Parts: sequence; structure tokens; C-alpha cells
Amino acid sequence: MATLLHTPIDEIAKIRDALRATFKSGVTRPVAWRKHQLYQLARMAQNEAEAFCDALAKDLSKPRVEVMAAEVGPVVERALKSAEQLEEWARPECPEVPGWQKGWKPTLLKAPKGTVLIISPWNYPVILTFQPLIGAIAAGCCAVVKPSEAVPHFSQLIAELLPKYLDPSAYRIVNGAVPEGAQLLDLQWDHIFYTGNGRVARIVAAAAVKHLTPLSLELGGKSPVIVDAAYDMDLAAKRILWGKCNNAGQICVAPDYILVPRTKQDELVRGFEKAYKAFFPDGALGDKVTGVMEGRKDAARKRIEPTVVKDVKDSDSLMEEEIFGPVLAIIPVDDLEEAIAFINARPHPLVLYVFTEDPVAKEKIINETQSGGIVFNDTFQHLAVGELPFSGIGESGYGYQFMKYTYDTFTHLRSSIDMPKEAEPFLQMRYPPHGAEAAQALAGAAYLPIPPSSPPSGRL
Amino acid sequence: MSTPPNPCTLLSMRYLKCVFQPRFSGNQIHATLRNGFRAGKLRSIEARKAQILQLAYLLQDNYERFKQSFASDLGRPSLETAFLELDSTISDCKIAYDRVDRWARTERAPFNINFAAFRPVIRKEPKGVVLSISPFNYPLWLALGPMAPLAAGNAFLIPKYMDSDVVRVVYGAVPETTKLLELPWDHILYTGSGRVAKIVCAAAAKTLSPVSLELGGKSPVVIDPNCDLKTAAKRIMWGKCVNAGQTCVAPDYILVQEDGMDTVVKALKEAHDEFYPSDPAASPDFSHIVNNSHFNRIKGLLDKTSGTIAFGGQTDEAKLFIAPTVVHSVKGEDSLMSEELFGPILPVIPVKNLDEAIKFINDRDHPLALYVFSQDASFKNKVFDNTQSGSAVANDTLVHCALDGLPFGGIGPSGSGYHTQKYTFDMFTHLRASLDSPSWSALSMPAIP
Repeated sequence: MATLLHTPIDEIAKIRDALRATFKSGVTRPVAWRKHQLYQLARMAQNEAEAFCDALAKDLSKPRVEVMAAEVGPVVERALKSAEQLEEWARPECPEVPGWQKGWKPTLLKAPKGTVLIISPWNYPVILTFQPLIGAIAAGCCAVVKPSEAVPHFSQLIAELLPKYLDPSAYRIVNGAVPEGAQLLDLQWDHIFYTGNGRVARIVAAAAVKHLTPLSLELGGKSPVIVDAAYDMDLAAKRILWGKCNNAGQICVAPDYILVPRTKQDELVRGFEKAYKAFFPDGALGDKVTGVMEGRKDAARKRIEPTVVKDVKDSDSLMEEEIFGPVLAIIPVDDLEEAIAFINARPHPLVLYVFTEDPVAKEKIINETQSGGIVFNDTFQHLAVGELPFSGIGESGYGYQFMKYTYDTFTHLRSSIDMPKEAEPFLQMRYPPHGAEAAQALAGAAYLPIPPSSPPSGRL
Repeated sequence: MSTPPNPCTLLSMRYLKCVFQPRFSGNQIHATLRNGFRAGKLRSIEARKAQILQLAYLLQDNYERFKQSFASDLGRPSLETAFLELDSTISDCKIAYDRVDRWARTERAPFNINFAAFRPVIRKEPKGVVLSISPFNYPLWLALGPMAPLAAGNAFLIPKYMDSDVVRVVYGAVPETTKLLELPWDHILYTGSGRVAKIVCAAAAKTLSPVSLELGGKSPVVIDPNCDLKTAAKRIMWGKCVNAGQTCVAPDYILVQEDGMDTVVKALKEAHDEFYPSDPAASPDFSHIVNNSHFNRIKGLLDKTSGTIAFGGQTDEAKLFIAPTVVHSVKGEDSLMSEELFGPILPVIPVKNLDEAIKFINDRDHPLALYVFSQDASFKNKVFDNTQSGSAVANDTLVHCALDGLPFGGIGPSGSGYHTQKYTFDMFTHLRASLDSPSWSALSMPAIP
């Protein structure tokens, strides 16, 4: 077990103050400076990939392929892409305005918010620590990162690595547990980006009240899967099981439970058995047992095999909270209405998965449900599309990330105009004393012609 | 078919009567709106446009009535009500009506060869049932302006000219608002003071409701002694006198180099005298203070000042009148610098040089607006590059708020989140990312050892 060196509590405020001073110095402003930091972050992820794999093997027994594919790879890719696109993102925008306002030089400046706090969880520590950091760097902010003490090898590793690659006067790691976290939350930040669960999110949100700090909360919940009777059950099972097995189901967007027509439940279960055998020819626990998915555990190695439970009811223990493990609950329903009602009776999920080719069913589900994201005929895959905004809604959180969305999260849109002297004759009307002519002219908008209409429902 | 039906007139009278609802039931109203949302009442663009038009009708039909009510509530000049509130809100209705199709259209994600086959799109979906708490100072524009939520398809708590399954207004004070805040909202927009904002955020933290805050603070004015002072003084005085300074982005105080202070004060006096050739107390073009509490607050700050009153200073408690007042030679610790003035008092603070002015601003909370009067680009850039503020405005005051296409929002204690038009639409919209994976794709199948 690694010894995680906690940052001394009385150092924490000093670290924040030092970063603030760095921000004020303006050193993070030039785009070239930020690009270099982004390239350094990419270099760190690439050069130290082995060290990351090693740390996560120790902390989570995470397979090397998963670390490289789902964590290190996207960090390198997104740091590079952000660096490439940064000039475009940072460019001031000039909105289209009516001719008479053009002389006011209306401009939208992209200003960094300042010094920000990023709190990351244990399950995908690499990507969930560095993805928000990429956006903060791109935006020109200084940042403190607080990784999870539940992954001590990882957190200790980045405390050692980060200052070798990134400018430590602008980016720092603070390690620790509850006391250190509380101290961080007591301080003023210009934005807090929290990834984790709803219980701690409420603590973070309550702490942020003191300084009216804007927040991003990337939470989770139970992400449902709807399977349509007409869909290929084997293909659905394969894609769902793949999503469930990643990190043994310990991911915010893991397919949590499945709603399937009663008549198709057994066929789906058979599909899971086939897929399991294909993924794990020697059994998931590596012990060459051929009976599948029976919930066998290996406590010594902290392993549970992928398990499917059918005929689950609403009141079941498996429906009490986010499973966050390799157990799939199947709930048989009579029809799509029942599936939709089931989902709507619960908090909005982070993602809704739907397996159907029927456009009418797709439209119905889109219109009658709410979720962070909605993915048809696959699981998990939307995380790979950096161009899509990722966020929850309701209990699953708020605030967007990925690529430009992360950049925007840490950016303040600073509106600007510059009123020419020559505008004065035009502005004259607004000054008192107000004559009748001025009153008439200024009130023009009130008399805009309103188009005829009647509401579709026939009311009012 | 097209003329607004007679009942609208009846409804508008009901709106103008401020009735504290007996047996207030926030839960019931919330449940009604949630059902209205779930029933999909505002899902179609046509339905949203119809409601937006109803709002425009409400304003146009009751134009004179609103002017009268603000005259009696705030002593507000007719033209200010028209220009600042009614017209801008009607104009916002028209803009939303014209553009809601475009705003709500599903977007395709930027092209990425690896995922093009997955048809990635971003849907613009209404967040659900939202709460907007609006203040006294621009009650129409701030209450109804964010009616772009109607454009977003949300069910809203505001005046009843429209379908009451989607839009409701709740009157009340602290007890009613507290009850409302206990419920979960899909977004809360709060406009007002930092003190109350903390109460709103604390409640929102329990329900994980996302919040936008339009707050305020002290918006500084930095004057370059070499600027066109006559024009500057007029524009600053105008910004201060509108609504008797009760504007979140009113120019709060002035920073100017010490040897230029007297000239600035003189120019301000000239502008004042142009606006109010006789006594401002008698002018129909000058508003009064909203209530006794604020009157006493502002008067108290003025009474305690260590600065020198250059002109103005008259007050009349019966009429809630405070004259446009300039106080010069004010120091940083003065009573007038202890809080947002939100009244027609303008302190002038002498500084040694521009660096001191910038430091003065940076030692305080980030303002909602930062005003610089200068024709010199390096002067302007130095101020804007070395400070942070909601907006950065050169050579005028206030007008940036209603500029179509520029977001309005604060930073730090001046607030978070943006609005006006599409920005308000976006505030109340959830970007729901969507993928549709083809059955032939083998992409999602990396080997699992």
C-alpha cells in the first residue's frame, strides 16, 4: 500500500495564494504559453504511460489495455487537439449587430476565470483528473488539482510528475483526505469542477455558497438501458456487456439496469452468455470455470465476475442505488410505455441507452425522457466523441466538458463595447429633459407589429 | 383569429394587483408546472412562439398601465419605463419569436472521421421547470425578459397572460420564496443582491439545482484626464441618474488622477444642469427611491461621508427623493465605498496615477461592469488587461446590456451565468448529446483480455 503524502493543511491556503499571484501576473494569458503547457501535459501522459499503468494496476487492478485506451490515449489526444484549436477558441468574437450599432465595436472577449479547483475521483483517475485540467490550462486559468486518496499510487505519482512537466507556479496537486478537502473548500475559487457522487456534491455545493463560486458537478446515477423487442438480442447483449465490463462497471456511464419486453428476457440472457464466453474464454476470474455469470466473487483479489440478474423488481436491492459494479439487473416490462414510466419515476440519468432501429420509438423516447446524454444502439461510446458536450441533468449533475466545452467552463465571456464620440447626436434623445418627440422615437419598439397567431392547443 | 381575446385585459388587471396569495402552495404550483412540462405543452416551436406572442400582447395592451404603475411604485419617468423596460422586453419577444427555430435546432457535432457513422448530434432540450426570482429595480425587463425560457420550452413561474399550465407568477416575500426554494428546480435564475444569492445557493445545494446569479457590486469608472470630458460627463451622469442609480450596472464611483478631479466635477455639474434645468425634485424625468428602507440606507451612507458634496445632497423622505449628488475627494474607506450605492450618489476618488486606479479596483470584488473613458487605446487596454469584470465598457455606460449578441453576466461576487436572448435560451437549455451506432460497426469492440 503506497503512503500517500498529504499536503500539510497550513500549506494549502499559501498554495492557492501563490497561484492567484501567478494568475495576476498575466503569465498564463498568451496563447503560446498555454499551448506549451498543453503539449507538456501530452508529453507527460505519453512518456509516463507505463508509470500510470503500473500505478493503476496497484490501485485498481485495472487492465493495461483499459488504461491506455480509455485514459492515457484520450488525455494525449485531447491535450493535442485543444492546443491546435486554442487560438480559434481564444479569439475575441464580434457578434452580428444592426448597422447603427456596428460603430460601438461590440466584442466578446474570452477571459480566464482565474484560479480554479478540480476534484477528481478514483475510478478513471487519469482522464477525470486531466480532462478538466486541459480545459483550465486552455482557458488561461491556474489550477489546484485534488485527486482521490482512494488511489494512493496514482495520486502520489502525479504529485511527483506534475511539477516536472507543468509550470508549478500555475498548477499544483494537493493530496489528502477529508481534512485537506475541507480546507480546500473553505477557500475562494473562481470555479470548482467536481466529479464524483451526489452526496459529496451537496457538500461541495454548500461550501461554494460562501464565495458564490460557480460549479460543475459531474455525477452519476443509474443509467438505464431500454431494449426493443425487434432488436438483435445477441448484438445488444454484446454491446451492453462490453459497456458493463469496462472497469468492472465502475464508471459513471455504465449501463446500470435493463428494461426489456418480458417475452424477450430469456433471449437476452442467452445473448449475454454468448458474449461472456466470447470475451472471457477462460472465465472472467481467470479460473477456467465454464458456468457463466453466476455472481462468483474472489474476495482476496477484490473481484466479482460479470453477473446478470433477471426478473428484478423495482423494490430490489439492486435498484436502491447506483450499482457501480459488474452486476446487470434485468427488469422485464410489458411495453415501451412502462419502460418510459419506470425511467421517469426516477432521477434523470447521466445517460440513457436505447437499443432500437424504430424511428418512432426513438422519437418517443427522446421526447418523453430527460437524460444527460442519449445513446442509441451502443453503450459508452459517446465518451469517445470529444466534439459532443458531456454533462448530466438533475441528480446526474450540471456543467459541460470535453474539448471546447471544458474550455468554456473555465472561461468568462467578457462583453465589451467602445462608444464613439460621433454617436452623440444619436444618443441625444436619451438625456433628460425628455420632449414629446424623444418619447415618441424611443418608444418605437413598443409598437412593433405583432404577427397574427393562435396557440396550437386552441386555448387562449 | 389574430386579435388578443378580451380576457387578456382582465388578466392584466389581475397581474397589476399585487396579491399575496392566501394558502400559498408552492408544491401544488410546482406539480402543475411539472405536469405541464411532462405533457409536452411547450415542446413544439409553434406552442412556444404562441406563448411568446402572448407576452408581447400583454405588454403592448397594457403599455400605459405599466407606465402608471411604475410612476406610482418608483416615481419613474414615463420615458424610462418605455425605453428601458417595455420596449426592450417587447423587442426581446420579437427577437425570440424570430429566432427560436434556429436556437432550438439540433446541431450536428463537428466532423470527426472516426465517429461520423455514429451520427453524433447535440439536441437542445428544455431543462424542465425553472424558477426566476426578479428584483424591484427593472421589474418588467428582469422578470419577463428571461421569458426566452419560453423559447427554451420550459414551464415558468411568471405572469398569467399565458397558459397557466406552463407559466405562473408567485407573489410574496421571504416566507413564500423560502418555500419555493425548498423544491427542486431544473434551473434557478436569481437577480438581486449577493446576500440573498447565498441563501438561494444554499437551498440549491440541497437539491443540486443549477443556478445563475445576476448580482451587482460597485462598478467603477476610470477617467483619462485627456479624454473628451464633456461627452464623458454626460454619459456618466446619464448612467447614474437613470432609475435614480438603482441599476446593477450603474456607474458606482469614479477614479481620476488628482489634478484632474476638479475639471471632472465641473463637467459633471454641467451635464447635471443640462438634464435638470430647474430643481430635479420637480422634474418628471427623474425617478425616486423604491422604499423607505433603501432611502434610509442611501441617506445614511451620504450622511456619514468624509468627502465634500460638490452639488446635490437634498433629500425628501415623504417623496423618497434623493437628488443626483456628486461627492468629491472621497477616500477608499469612506462610507460611500462600503457597499454598492444603488442610488443617485456619485463619489469621485482622486488617485495618483493609472496604476493606483487599477490597484484600487483589483483590491475589491470583481465588478459587474467596468467603465473606462479614454480615447487612448493603450490607456483602455491597460485597464482592461489588468482587471477582471463582467463587462468591459469604454466611453459609455449601461448600453452594453441590451446589445443583441453580447452576453450579460458577472464574474466572482458580481455573478455567474449569462443572459439576454440566445444566452438566456442557452441558460435554460440542456445540451443532450446523442449517438446512433450502426449495427455494422466493430469500432466499439476492443479486445478484452
